Amino acid sequence: MSEKRMVDKNGMRGGAGLSAVLLLVGFVFQWRAVVPAIGAALAIGSIFGLRYSPLGAAYRFIKKSFKLNIPLEREEEPPPRFAQTLGFVVCAIASLLFIPGWNGAGWALALLVAGLQGLLATTGLCVGCEIYLYSQRFRAHGVEAR
Amino acid sequence: MIIRLVVALAVAAASAGLAIAWRRREGRFSEGTGRFDRAELGIAKRDQPSALLVEFFGEDCAPCVTVQNRIGKIATEVPGVQIVSIDAGARMDVADRHEVRRVPTLFVLDQDLRVIWRASGVPSEDAIRTALLGPNWAGRPHPGVESHQRVAR
Repeated sequence: MSEKRMVDKNGMRGGAGLSAVLLLVGFVFQWRAVVPAIGAALAIGSIFGLRYSPLGAAYRFIKKSFKLNIPLEREEEPPPRFAQTLGFVVCAIASLLFIPGWNGAGWALALLVAGLQGLLATTGLCVGCEIYLYSQRFRAHGVEAR
Repeated sequence: MIIRLVVALAVAAASAGLAIAWRRREGRFSEGTGRFDRAELGIAKRDQPSALLVEFFGEDCAPCVTVQNRIGKIATEVPGVQIVSIDAGARMDVADRHEVRRVPTLFVLDQDLRVIWRASGVPSEDAIRTALLGPNWAGRPHPGVESHQRVAR
């Protein structure tokens, strides 16, 4: 029986807040490198698991450095991992749009990620996780229908 | 630069606005429709609770534990109230029938198993108590408990 991998939801929220701020600052100062950098951080979390996510590591570092008393809030890993994959894909497309000079479109996608990450950080509402759960539900219905 | 700053602030404001709207909606009761049946709740015919609190939970869902603790406490205060906890993942058929889109989702049912109120997220203890005992409650509130104002929504 495979063991379910768990993640700290507050870690995810902290990492999301950090990436939202970085993307917004990057947009203001037109630091396009921020977008692929955030995309790479999301890709690491998506491919290797959230425990290896640089954003999560940054959150843990800040929490430890400032001795923040934020409790662990465990949840299953697959939904947030899927959300990170979506974030990575959008950041990757945004980065590719920068190459031919379509900066407006690239930044629009990056700001979409920033907005959703900000929402996750402030409310805990993870849109990517919700999409994952809906997809699981439809998959279950597909199995039932056969 | 100023335009970009304004755009960045607009994105932050939109995110904050959505966050505020979400928080307002989170854990609020709204009037429910539909009805459960005894089989899906797993309650025997001889059981005649005055009201039921039906909670849909998920595995390893921290907010679900908070809701369970709250309804457990309230059930000890109000006689005749029965709690039914349903694993939404394991009983997706029941969850779908009652349009449970996320966990925790809490239903307040009357003695005929009609849905009176429903809330997604974590309602406050007072909101649950009010939904259960408020003046518009269609069930049978405990006579020892005074009517509460309808503020559960």
